[in-house]
Amino acid sequence: MKRAAIIIFAALFAFVLIVAMLELSALPSPKVNLPAAVAANMAASGVEHPVTAVLLNFRGYDTLLEIAVLLLVLLVVLAVSPREGKAPAASHEPVLQVLARVAVPVMLLAAVYLLWAGAHRPGGAFQAGAVLGAAAVLLHLAGLLPGWNAPRLFMRAGLAGGFLVFLVVASALLANGALLHFPPEFAGALILLIEAGLTVSLGLILAGLFLFLA
Amino acid sequence: MTEFFDPLAWLILLPLFWASGAFLLGPTRGARLAIVGVAAQLWLAIDLAVKVGDGGTAIRHAVGGWGAPLGIDLIADGLAAAMLLLTHMVALPLLLYARGYFAADASVARYFWPLSGFLLAGLNALFLAADLFNLYVTLEIVGLAAVGLVAAGGNATQIAAGLRYLFATLIGSGMYLLGVALIYGAYGTVSIATLTPLINASAASAVWIAAALMLLGLMLKTALFPFHYWLPPAHGGAPAPVSALLSALVVKASFYLILRLWLGPFAPLTGTIAWLPALLGSAAILWGSWQAIRAVRLKMLVAYSTIAQLGYLFLIFPLLGPDGLALQAGGMQVVAHGLAKAAMFAAAGAMIHVTGRDAVADVAGVASRMPVSLFAFALAGVTLMGLPPSGGFLAKWLLIDAALTQGQWWLVAVIIAGGLLAAIYVFRVLRQAFLVPAQGERRHLSHRAPPLLEWTAFTLAAASVLLGLRGVDLLRLLAVGSGP
Repeated sequence: MKRAAIIIFAALFAFVLIVAMLELSALPSPKVNLPAAVAANMAASGVEHPVTAVLLNFRGYDTLLEIAVLLLVLLVVLAVSPREGKAPAASHEPVLQVLARVAVPVMLLAAVYLLWAGAHRPGGAFQAGAVLGAAAVLLHLAGLLPGWNAPRLFMRAGLAGGFLVFLVVASALLANGALLHFPPEFAGALILLIEAGLTVSLGLILAGLFLFLA
Repeated sequence: MTEFFDPLAWLILLPLFWASGAFLLGPTRGARLAIVGVAAQLWLAIDLAVKVGDGGTAIRHAVGGWGAPLGIDLIADGLAAAMLLLTHMVALPLLLYARGYFAADASVARYFWPLSGFLLAGLNALFLAADLFNLYVTLEIVGLAAVGLVAAGGNATQIAAGLRYLFATLIGSGMYLLGVALIYGAYGTVSIATLTPLINASAASAVWIAAALMLLGLMLKTALFPFHYWLPPAHGGAPAPVSALLSALVVKASFYLILRLWLGPFAPLTGTIAWLPALLGSAAILWGSWQAIRAVRLKMLVAYSTIAQLGYLFLIFPLLGPDGLALQAGGMQVVAHGLAKAAMFAAAGAMIHVTGRDAVADVAGVASRMPVSLFAFALAGVTLMGLPPSGGFLAKWLLIDAALTQGQWWLVAVIIAGGLLAAIYVFRVLRQAFLVPAQGERRHLSHRAPPLLEWTAFTLAAASVLLGLRGVDLLRLLAVGSGP
């Protein structure tokens, strides 16, 4: 009975959403054309790729708060996870270990490339950080990296460092008139600085979400 | 161009700085940093309220210098400034309280300080936001920080309450995000100021669906009856300073957002269904008060009282009019209840700290041992009942005034009944504390509550009552609209 009600409700909800989507696709194109506004301001953004320009410059404030969300999630995981006594890594598959030893250096290289590529093509700190995090998880699953205990000062600095760099840049730019108001001539360098910090911290945070609980 | 020490920006940056700083210092550290930070924020919030109140117009900050709709704007109007003021008037005493509360057993609160920093940053960012997607991000910060505070350091019940809260808050923000996506699809922007005239001009049925999803999601997060199921275990089970922060501030954040959307972009859509939130609010008042009257545990009593008091906030929707009376009543109720409920949880926490038990029956004989806490509890009760000269009285008076002006007699009946029911559950605790002697071995309990706990609770309670005397200033601030 309960299950049937849930299925009927879900089907109705899906139907309503499909109708809404069809209606939206039939509407004339919206009055506010943000892609055009982004394209018109690309020259002042400091980067050449529109996604990076939106994420770090036009809507950089959203990204700042999103990094705060990721750091916050890690804090919540730390606050509820057991403190010490992590089991050592379990697997001892030699083939997997060899594969991991080969793959991880390539993944590090790919992360650095993604970070650098973000300025002019798809890429950037989120993707690079995700690759770094995946490399750490791979090492753990292959039995080469034990689960992490409660973080010491060095690790905490790594986890929060990227966010702090972003925060300091954002506040320093208040002197330029507004929060995150990049001067066009330094925007490229500052965005690269922020993204480099974020890559390291996001890699550690994403790895930590797995390894602090492992 | 704005000055470097723009309060709008620093109200968001400061808590982020001290939250990260507290995390760097390590588990259980960072209390002093947090208290200094919040004191500075209180000063900024007062500065902002004075500027908005005197200037009579909203203050803006275009982040990145782009301006909406390409960039993101921050806007502080009267309502936002009042919410920021309330947040810090509640947060500063509560953080001092938390320092005393966790002094005995710091391990329970290993990450309390950074989590509360992120919570305050999220709240401040939410009150200042003027962009639907930016609001979503701030909602996530507030929700996740609140879940972390409930679950942190916890035993199994706390983690279970935290998980239930997490599901409720994630479903709520998920519905909100779905609505934002539909609106972006229809209009190509998420800036509230740009959207409002566009929705006024024409609203596709997708926008109706979006509005319904967003408002329902936010009602779930505000724990409006019948979506209140997650609130009592989360607020009643957390440590007292956390319960106080959640009941006084976090549920108000999603209410604030409902009010903003209702008055702003969704104003053309909501005219015909305004009775619905008022009906649910009335049910919340009666149901919450009834559960508070029956509650066995002291903190559960206070948590159910929150559900009832949140109900009053939803009574204003059919009364919202050009005279602004109902909006002022709602704002006054938010502030008065925020202060009173923080005081009540703090006082209850101090009593539980001394008696060691969390049952209404166990406060027997507390009157002679902790008069300050009990006085704080009673003063907070005065505000909840709506007796003069408290802020609660002023809020209910304005609400009745607005209801009478518009001939909504049934709302007047609900408001008066709610006040009487509140008197019953408040006097239930006071009677136990004053008239019933302590039983057996409990008479000899000699240790007292730390003065810090008792006096911070008292300060909050006194503020909630004295608010009524300075109510005119607050009403003047609330009347400052966001303007064109």
